[in-house]
Amino acid sequence: MSLWLQVIWAAAALNVVLLLGLTYVWGRNYTQFRSKHTLGLAAFGLILLAENATALYLFYFHPQLSAWIAAQAPIAHLAVGGLRLLELVAIAFLAWTTWD
Amino acid sequence: MDGVLWYVLTGTRGGENRVRILKALDERPRNANKLAEALELDYTTVRHHLDVLCDNDVLRKQGGDYGAIYLPTDRARQHWETVEQIMEKVE
Repeated sequence: MSLWLQVIWAAAALNVVLLLGLTYVWGRNYTQFRSKHTLGLAAFGLILLAENATALYLFYFHPQLSAWIAAQAPIAHLAVGGLRLLELVAIAFLAWTTWD
Repeated sequence: MDGVLWYVLTGTRGGENRVRILKALDERPRNANKLAEALELDYTTVRHHLDVLCDNDVLRKQGGDYGAIYLPTDRARQHWETVEQIMEKVE
């Protein structure tokens, strides 16, 4: 497994962990406040969680798919990983403000 | 301001306690110590929430240092309907 692939799946795994925490907080607040605002946050967390869990599954359990993409289009492999890292930064910021 | 209130009171981990703090201060402005006592919360927790609410212009401080009392800002008062709407859900 290439180093870049390991970085990508580690970022996806961290995203899953952070989103589990965020979705827990927002989901709990939604059950209490029942507001549109908290529903939006909870739904956002849940959907992004599904997206990252899928990514983790693809990168970690199907390394052949990732290796194929890397072989066919190295630039795409790099770009997809870069997007995953940016997402980690964004989610980390959100977790920092939500944990208040 | 409505967005700030929704976010700071319902979008974060400490939201519920912030609503309780706001409710207590609406009934009677008081200092951090009395507030911690009344709500049976840790003093540092109360201080943290008070700082966040002040930062977001929901509460303001009156008086100096340790004896300072906290009360809702005029801006929060103008949007009190939203606050009440949120408070209804926390009983």
